[in-house]
Amino acid sequence: MKRSLFGRLWPNVTAVVLFIGFVFPVYWMFATAFKPTGDIISEDPVWFPTDVTFEHFKRATGVDHFWTYVSNSLIVTLCAVTLALVVALAGSFALARMRFKGRRGFVIGFMMAQMAPWEVMIIAMYMIVRDASMLNSLVPLTVFYMMMILPFTILTLRGFVAAVPRDLEEAAMVDGCTRAQAFRKVILPLLAPGLMSTSLFGFITAWNEFPLVLVLNKEAEAQTLPLWLSSFQTAFGNDWGATMAASSLFAIPILILFVFLQRRAVSGLTAGAVKG
Amino acid sequence: MKRKLISAIGVAGMMISLAACGGDNGDGGDKTGADGYAGETLTVWVMDGSSPDQWQKDVAAAFEKKTKAKVKFEIQQWNGIQQKLTTALSEENPPDVFEIGNTQTPAYAKTGGLADLADLKTEIGADWTESLNESSIYDGKQYAAPWYFANRVVLYNKKIWAEAGIKDTPKTRDEFYADLKTIGEKTDAEPIYLPGQNWYHFVGLTIGEGAELVKKDGDKYVSNLADPKVAAAMETYKKFQALSKAPKDKDEATPQQGEVFGKGNVGAFIGMGWEAGIAIEANKKIEKEIGYFTIPGATADKPEGVFLGGSNLAVAAGSKKQELAKEFLRIALNDTYEGELAKLNGVIPNKESLQTNLKGNVVAEAAAPAAAGGGTTPLIPEWAAVENAPNPIKTYMTAVLNGKSPADAAKQVEDEFNKRLAQQQ
Amino acid sequence: MTVQTERPPSGPVDAVDKAESGSAGPRPRAAARAGALTPYLLLLPACAATVLLLGWPLVKDILLSFQNLNMAQLIQHVTEWNGIDNYKEVLTGEDFWRVTLRSILFTAVNVALTMVLGALVGLLLARLGRRMRVMLLVGLVLAWAMPVVAATTVYQWLFAQRFGVVNWVLDKLGWHSMADYSWTSSQMSTFFVVTVLIVWQSIPFVAINLYAATTTIPGELYEAAALDGAGAWKSFTTVTLPFLRPFLYATTFLEIIWIFKAFVQVFTINGGGPDRLTEILPVYAYIEGVGNQHYGMGAAIAVLTILILLGLTAYYLRIVLKQEEEEV
Repeated sequence: MKRSLFGRLWPNVTAVVLFIGFVFPVYWMFATAFKPTGDIISEDPVWFPTDVTFEHFKRATGVDHFWTYVSNSLIVTLCAVTLALVVALAGSFALARMRFKGRRGFVIGFMMAQMAPWEVMIIAMYMIVRDASMLNSLVPLTVFYMMMILPFTILTLRGFVAAVPRDLEEAAMVDGCTRAQAFRKVILPLLAPGLMSTSLFGFITAWNEFPLVLVLNKEAEAQTLPLWLSSFQTAFGNDWGATMAASSLFAIPILILFVFLQRRAVSGLTAGAVKG
Repeated sequence: MKRKLISAIGVAGMMISLAACGGDNGDGGDKTGADGYAGETLTVWVMDGSSPDQWQKDVAAAFEKKTKAKVKFEIQQWNGIQQKLTTALSEENPPDVFEIGNTQTPAYAKTGGLADLADLKTEIGADWTESLNESSIYDGKQYAAPWYFANRVVLYNKKIWAEAGIKDTPKTRDEFYADLKTIGEKTDAEPIYLPGQNWYHFVGLTIGEGAELVKKDGDKYVSNLADPKVAAAMETYKKFQALSKAPKDKDEATPQQGEVFGKGNVGAFIGMGWEAGIAIEANKKIEKEIGYFTIPGATADKPEGVFLGGSNLAVAAGSKKQELAKEFLRIALNDTYEGELAKLNGVIPNKESLQTNLKGNVVAEAAAPAAAGGGTTPLIPEWAAVENAPNPIKTYMTAVLNGKSPADAAKQVEDEFNKRLAQQQ
Repeated sequence: MTVQTERPPSGPVDAVDKAESGSAGPRPRAAARAGALTPYLLLLPACAATVLLLGWPLVKDILLSFQNLNMAQLIQHVTEWNGIDNYKEVLTGEDFWRVTLRSILFTAVNVALTMVLGALVGLLLARLGRRMRVMLLVGLVLAWAMPVVAATTVYQWLFAQRFGVVNWVLDKLGWHSMADYSWTSSQMSTFFVVTVLIVWQSIPFVAINLYAATTTIPGELYEAAALDGAGAWKSFTTVTLPFLRPFLYATTFLEIIWIFKAFVQVFTINGGGPDRLTEILPVYAYIEGVGNQHYGMGAAIAVLTILILLGLTAYYLRIVLKQEEEEV
């Protein structure tokens, strides 16, 4: 009796402890951002912000060019993700559905491409872009970000494509669809969860990138949000309120997107997998 | 083969752009008169905190009036500036004019990234203070123009000092220490905010001890940190640092010490006069409490050694607006604006005749007595590499503060230090 | 790329992929009908992008690694070949080997922690009631979704020397010496912070996907095991584990490459300090190359870093190679 109570209790207790552990840093970021400075640097932490202030957010967004950074970040990220999805979808379809010579080589090739340590090749990339007179532009950023997420997108989508029952596709083709039509009408809708979860990955990678944009784009007009966020360290010193407000603003789009997409992606996947 | 061709094209391109400038040169007189430069914009990089908004506005107005061209000031952070500057100078559109630290100037002069300013020196630089112009000269050529110089002072919170019952500012190092101790005992303020890696102050202390940071070994420069005189300077630093709660492994910019001081619970800090502005920005009420005094030396007759920090203005060799850039220097460095900068920021101007601007400036009056005994880091091209993060001198300081003996700490960083001094150029 | 990730569940899919391809029977009919060139055309954009955007920088990097490229050469666009000098200098110095060893240890510890803890959390998820599971999932997703730049900043604040909440808690728990502790002051404490950060961000990926994978294990397998008289542990080792194996391989592979490249976390928390003691290979390459403006040297270290990463993952690549072979 006693043991079974314990047996029922411990998973729940562990879950609560884990929940607190995972959520606390996120909570603390938001809480700090809303607290007046006096509550932030107090000898005993103020656990719940009682006097909510927006002063830190005002400071964080009051920086010159803030909205330029926002729009640059959005443009670069969305374009990179869309491009990667289109290119990857074609490739992953071939890898998942077709038999051809060298298929294995392509798979291994993309796996190796996925390992590329971009940060250490920054100077080579910089020199290429410089010599092509493309500095301070969003184009190189977009295509490089696309490349950073492409291998993962191909390899993952390949799995999703393979999980779509082949019979469906063939049935459509028997009904007189061309292969392309079958793809568009039958496979694509079934791939939606896969596209969502891979685009999520791509979105976050591109949204986060800063070593490359730091060296490529020196002009504020072509810079992105991660630079704004990292500049807070020097510009605001130990002003943790403004820094946390900036972090919060930076994280919010991703958090929303994630909570929204992840649920669908996971549920879609599980449903599909059970069917398969 | 192909690569050589590419670089040849690069060089050719550069020569064409220089030739184009030569063309401008010929009718330069016309241009300044009419509106030949109208529509052009000159990009100028200045370091964070080095020139007040007012000065920038005034210079920009005067520049536009004379040349019809606009000037765009872009504020840069010291942190990571060398990497940014190096890549920028290699680009098609480098900043036309930029501020460059005096200790970094020789290295950049050697790279060929800085334009030769010999004619400008003859034209406007006859009375530049010779010692301040030293860092701009490399291999006999003038690669930059001296702009301003400054040394550190003690900024203190008058209210806290009064609270501790201290009537007068200290005249010797021991008095200074005793005063800080008193503050620690009688008030609940932090007596001094001195992070472990305020290495400019440490360099000042070594200058005070008459120590050199590097020495010659054959035709190479090597570390001289093992010198007992350097150790003595470090001991002084350590003694004062022990009174501070500041982190031992951070420099004065992370967090900005001015901002910490601005919170009103710090007795003093060692910094540049303009850092008071940071404190005031963080907390308006602190303004009337800030006082300044010369960093006291071992004896009352001689102030502490200080690092004579300074900045030069240089023109990028790759700039396509050479004439306009020089025009900017003529205006920015003329008596009116050089004087204004000295006055507003309390910094030492590039010629003696302008020092009258410092009269009545509390910061300058606190800084001036020490300036005479000030010095710099070695003015050699090899030096710039030492300042790259992680700066071995900072590592040395933190090691000593964390309990290593100065000799052991010197040994610990020697390899890194020597490697950088020997780095291929 | 980032370690903190948003990786869609590739593992379970791989499993499904395999299961499906096993049962699909004769399939190349469709492929035969389509032109033999179609797959290559479909792969063309991806390959072109890879060659241009990854291959070119890579080749450029290799070329740079044979050059003496410093401030002057970069500014004046001069090419100075210096043979294998950079490699000689890197490989004969102690630093490189020390950093390599450190990198491998760092990766091993973090990957092991992530995989073990992540798997445990995943199994816990499967055991929880619905309400608790949703709560824990929300917590995991929030940590997972934190952009790495923001997460790193938050961790600096949590572990701040003054007013940092971690020091406060430790002080209250009785470790009074921790009240003003500087986490960035020593090698081990810096690595501790970095490890907590990385593991915190990586566990959700492993846990959520492992949980998703367990839900796809057919119940009949357990029933069959039970009929054979298997206990809880036995059915775990004979049913759950084998089923999850491909997933575990794939995830470990991803974690290795993500954690090995954890540049942003290490660099932002303490810049590879104190005293260069927490530099891992990517940080070392960056500091020697870009930081010290010794670009040719940085390029050589980059090439070596890539080779080491390939070596670390060779085992998995071989498995994949074999697996793909079987399928054809």
